[in-house]
Amino acid sequence: METSWRFFLLSREAEGMTSAHDAVQVAIHSQPFSATDQLDRWLQRAGSAAAATAVFMGHVRPETMDGAPLEALELSHYPGLCERLLLSFTQQQLSDHGVQSALVLHRVGRLSPGDLIVLVAVSGDRRGPVQRCCSDLLELLKHEAPFWKREWSGGVGTWLGANTPL
Amino acid sequence: MGETRLSAACTVQVLLFASLRDRAGWSSRPFTLSAHTLCTPQAIWQLLDLGAWPGGVRVAVNQSFVAADHPLNDGDELAFLPPFTGG
Repeated sequence: METSWRFFLLSREAEGMTSAHDAVQVAIHSQPFSATDQLDRWLQRAGSAAAATAVFMGHVRPETMDGAPLEALELSHYPGLCERLLLSFTQQQLSDHGVQSALVLHRVGRLSPGDLIVLVAVSGDRRGPVQRCCSDLLELLKHEAPFWKREWSGGVGTWLGANTPL
Repeated sequence: MGETRLSAACTVQVLLFASLRDRAGWSSRPFTLSAHTLCTPQAIWQLLDLGAWPGGVRVAVNQSFVAADHPLNDGDELAFLPPFTGG
């Protein structure tokens, strides 16, 4: 099951022509997804006119926070509030940094080491704002959106109390 | 901020997540505070038998973040949220 919010913002007019719509896409996936497929589709729709795109992908580590072998990482969220916050953060960050479009995808459910947890991509006209926006958006997502991780190792699940340091 | 309720019973649907859900053994239950009791998340927490108010826990009412002393209304959805660890 996937919940997805796709909002098309203002259209731009450049040199007398209407360009493709700028877009914000936020989704929470309960099943694995292909980062390259998702990026390709988003870039074709929203980022094709952008000069700069920054992408962050976060994957499950092979060890727990304590260094033990990780069997699985369980991710849960607060449905509804979580999606609305992600959308709000994304729109605010795009506005604050003056960039045009963003893709934010996050997994929930039981993940294995190496699985993709989160994909954040931001497109705009210049690399500086695009990179800063991607970084700020990721930190907001990690610290202000209601997601929770539980590490499974040796058959025992442990809820994490904090994120890894930046 | 709405008016503080003191004159009527207050029933809210409490949601717990992650470590709090596991500690309590449930994820969603209604709780009622009797009339003449200040109806706030802090007061509801005392009914949950989960010990002292834990550091880092945030509160959401009807899917908006609020303070622990936010006045509750009958029928509210009240969520207690452990520290976030997404991304």
